[in-house]
Amino acid sequence: MTGADIVLEALEREGVRVIFGYPGGANLPIYKELPKHPRLRHILVRHEQGAAHMADGYARASGGPGVVFATSGPGALNTITGLATAFMDSVPLVAITGQVASTVVGRDAFQESDVVGCSMPVTKHNYLITDVHDIPRVIKEAFHIATTGRPGPVLIDICKDAQQADWPDPVWPQAIQLPGYRPAFTPDLSQLERAADALSRAERPVILAGHGVILSGGEEELIALAEKSATPTGTTLLGIGAFPVRHPLSLHMTGFMGTGWNLKAVQDADLLMCVGMRVDDRVTAKLADWAPRAETFIHVDIDRSEMGKNRRPHMEVVADAKTALGKMLPHIRPPEPERRRTWLTQIDRWREEHPLRYVHSNGHLQPQDVMIEMYRRCADEAIVVADVGQNQIWAALWWNFAKPGLFINSGGAGTMGFAFPAAIGAKVARPEKDVWCVAGEGGFVMTAQELSVAVKHKLDVKIVLLNNFSLGMVRQFQDDFYGGVRSEVDLHDMPDFVKLAEAYGLPGRLVTSADEIGPAMDFAQQTPGPVLIDFRIDEEANVYPIVPLGLGLNDFRELPDDYA
Amino acid sequence: MTTPEIARAQRLRVLTAVVEDHPGVLSRVSGMIRRRGFNIHGLSVGPTGVPGRSRMTLTVDAGHAEVDQVEKQLDRLIEVLEIEDLTETPRINRELALVKLAVDEESRSRALTEIDRLGGRVLDEDREQLIVELSGEFERVEIALEALRSFRIVDLARSGPVAISKSRDRGPARAPGTQAGGGAW
Repeated sequence: MTGADIVLEALEREGVRVIFGYPGGANLPIYKELPKHPRLRHILVRHEQGAAHMADGYARASGGPGVVFATSGPGALNTITGLATAFMDSVPLVAITGQVASTVVGRDAFQESDVVGCSMPVTKHNYLITDVHDIPRVIKEAFHIATTGRPGPVLIDICKDAQQADWPDPVWPQAIQLPGYRPAFTPDLSQLERAADALSRAERPVILAGHGVILSGGEEELIALAEKSATPTGTTLLGIGAFPVRHPLSLHMTGFMGTGWNLKAVQDADLLMCVGMRVDDRVTAKLADWAPRAETFIHVDIDRSEMGKNRRPHMEVVADAKTALGKMLPHIRPPEPERRRTWLTQIDRWREEHPLRYVHSNGHLQPQDVMIEMYRRCADEAIVVADVGQNQIWAALWWNFAKPGLFINSGGAGTMGFAFPAAIGAKVARPEKDVWCVAGEGGFVMTAQELSVAVKHKLDVKIVLLNNFSLGMVRQFQDDFYGGVRSEVDLHDMPDFVKLAEAYGLPGRLVTSADEIGPAMDFAQQTPGPVLIDFRIDEEANVYPIVPLGLGLNDFRELPDDYA
Repeated sequence: MTTPEIARAQRLRVLTAVVEDHPGVLSRVSGMIRRRGFNIHGLSVGPTGVPGRSRMTLTVDAGHAEVDQVEKQLDRLIEVLEIEDLTETPRINRELALVKLAVDEESRSRALTEIDRLGGRVLDEDREQLIVELSGEFERVEIALEALRSFRIVDLARSGPVAISKSRDRGPARAPGTQAGGGAW
């Protein structure tokens, strides 16, 4: 077998079904063998960043690793943003890039770049293969590293001569030997008992749940723990779906664009338990002012380096969220109902005093109305892939997600252009699901060339373009925090998106008023294949609540009364 | 020490790591240190008793990060097999310095007396220069170098720190396949 054949055989052995890729000089040997492996479905993208985001969406929707192929030099470098996006959000990917022949590596050969060096900061691990005999072992290790512990992307750069070399009888390793990598942590039981005891004793406890709860499949344990301890529970942006938004104990989303009642609860809590999350700056806003009354801060995460990275915990549990929550549960003592009533009543009052609000009556199409109508139709069944910016927060706040795995977005990296290719990947992974892509026009055009992929593969991705002819979130920041100077945010020179869609071979619709939302949704849902709807939303619509940059969660601002 | 110097001394961590002897492992370690906002003050790398394994001794300024982040972040690297923060552990430190001193007839004998007093060794000499070896704890090497500055130091090469814990267990020098440390994902 050639090295190229061994690569493809190894992928089949890892259970890979789909590859998102792009051929070029340094991975031609692999593409030559690809037709001999009909069990591997290859999706030819239009730009390698699209391949990485598709694989990312595929991984988030399926729970398994996504696979990317790219050639050397520019091909591989184009995947970097996608790898960084997956790395920040702990998504398992394996990227296989072609490299120039090992004999010319380091001589600035045509389309040579130091891809291992470039991808080092944005991958969990990476490899350069110069010898065909390393291929089976490295691929096995790569999938193991990508999918275990805290998941993440792994890149394998394979020299062209290793792809072409012959190894008639390859040896497939059974065991993995990585002495420096031991992801399976058995949580410290005494710490778990202490944490459960503290939670049982707390007067004003709050749980915040992050992506780790979803990645570990721990949502049932989370709900059980919250209910048994009668603890109000919120989520991070990436934790959305880990706890049902309409649950009586739900605090909805936390962070600098979180709900008022969530932020009030976090700031007043005497005990805060963060599970499967990093406690990053978008969660805490001004760190020194975050959760100031929390006498007990419990941090549960699978990554030991998250402990004390931003806020020093009083109790730390290094374990996956599902295991930790499951093992804490029997040690929880339900509080006396009267003891908890004061706290829950207080939170109800905050929920009434600080509801989510938006502008209703200025005659313009409101993005929240679009989200509400989408949610009414799709409820807890469709997958929603949001881009980055105002569209992302509108989708996060106005869908009442009740299950994990239905809301996909680039949280940590905040990569504009993520949504559409990621939605393609999600649809490939879950063809039985309705998949909606919610994006602003600014982010959408960053990867819009992938429309060809959706059309070619007849992928039913429904594109909801929330078009305000501006970089809305940046415009809002400029209005609110940069003295109202609108600088380089106007996008009125965008193309006619209906015509753009038609040029790519999919139908488009224009929606300019609220009464057209329903018919447009009907059209999208009844038309097979991809559909684009250009919603011309209120150009002044904003995201609220929002914490001004540099301030603490207590300083959140809501929709001004005179706007409503 | 001035206040900033004291603050920096408190941020300074001494770590010892056993790493896989692969191409690029130094780049991984130094890359992690750079991108987390730490700064390398001293670094030495050499073989261990186990083939394919190298030991690094690092002196790292934790910068604005919590000081335990240096060990935790390096521990995430898959090729870092074992790592230990020795800052607050009883340990032995050593550093080697080679100093090239320009001398003339007048200063030569004073220099030789001073080198002798400092416990240095003259490795090479001719009429115009002496090459001197200084070794010992980091602080002693610093003091000795300071004393030699009254002569003309033409060139200086320092090995960076080497440290080992005084603890009785085998510490990170242990053979492959044994547990503890490593891989915090």
